[in-house]
Amino acid sequence: MGVSELAESSVLLDEKLLRFMDQLELLEEKRATLNSLIEQGWFSMSKARYSMGNKCVSPLQYASEIEPLVCVHAKTLGSGEVDFCTDRVKQKCCNEVGKDNGSIEDIGPQEEGVRRRIKPKKDMTEKETSEETSSEKAPEVTPEVRKSDQNPQQDPLKWFGILVPQSLKHAQSSFKQVIELSAEIATLQTAVLNTRQELKHSMKDKHILLEEASATQLDRVAD
Amino acid sequence: MAGRGKLIAVIGDEDTCTGFLLGGIGELNKNRKPNFLVVEKDTSITEIEETFKSFLARNDIGIILINQFIAEMIRHAIDGHMQSIPAVLEIPSKEHPYDASKDSILRRAKGMFSAEDFR
Repeated sequence: MGVSELAESSVLLDEKLLRFMDQLELLEEKRATLNSLIEQGWFSMSKARYSMGNKCVSPLQYASEIEPLVCVHAKTLGSGEVDFCTDRVKQKCCNEVGKDNGSIEDIGPQEEGVRRRIKPKKDMTEKETSEETSSEKAPEVTPEVRKSDQNPQQDPLKWFGILVPQSLKHAQSSFKQVIELSAEIATLQTAVLNTRQELKHSMKDKHILLEEASATQLDRVAD
Repeated sequence: MAGRGKLIAVIGDEDTCTGFLLGGIGELNKNRKPNFLVVEKDTSITEIEETFKSFLARNDIGIILINQFIAEMIRHAIDGHMQSIPAVLEIPSKEHPYDASKDSILRRAKGMFSAEDFR
């Protein structure tokens, strides 16, 4: 009874230990990637700072209203592990913006295209025709007008100016990758700690079994 | 949108915070409380610790990223945090490269092979 149980627990312990080692190895790999990506990001940011000016890429440029573009979903798995996955908010495309603007009440002149100045009443017939043409034009113009009206706070790149250097865009993409990788690393970290806990319990169990086995052996010898 | 998930918080130097905010993790909530702390030369350890604890207490934060050299300043607070959410990740900074031997998670994992585990 004792010997077979001991063999089983030893096999289980070995499996857990191998899993633990694999997780640690993966964690180390991901850590190395994360570190190199962060370094790359800093290097690109320094390049941007070199071309834009020392004070142009600093916390002074942060917007007064900041909204997150990335969120993390934490799912607790049955084994006690937590799975973190990032979810990036997609930037609104032009069509969506047009739809949104349609629902918002427009204040101010409706037609921003070509307008005809109101002339004093000289010729009534001429005025009527001009009104007709303007009312026909108005609905065509409005959806196109607001294309450039996207929320400027949405993209943090715009805090640093409208025409930012390419290196700042590179820095942004590096840090975007870092954010995704950090969620993976967070998942791995919880997995490592969980496996460690399991391993600890299995070791204790095996220790108890070993003690029992040695006690029975001693009894047999005494008999 | 982003409100449904949890946030990523950062405690770091200027470049680290700017980089992550460029990536889109920044938030200023209704009470104007940010999810980041830019640590400068004159930032006190108490302030860092209080911010870290406030991040731990917030329900809307899933991951806390912290520069390792700052984590060293408040090591006791980091070691005391045992829950898996929010997860604490130590990252390198420009002047201080990442040292795995200082990482609290790896130190915990390393501790598995100590004599205590066999008792």
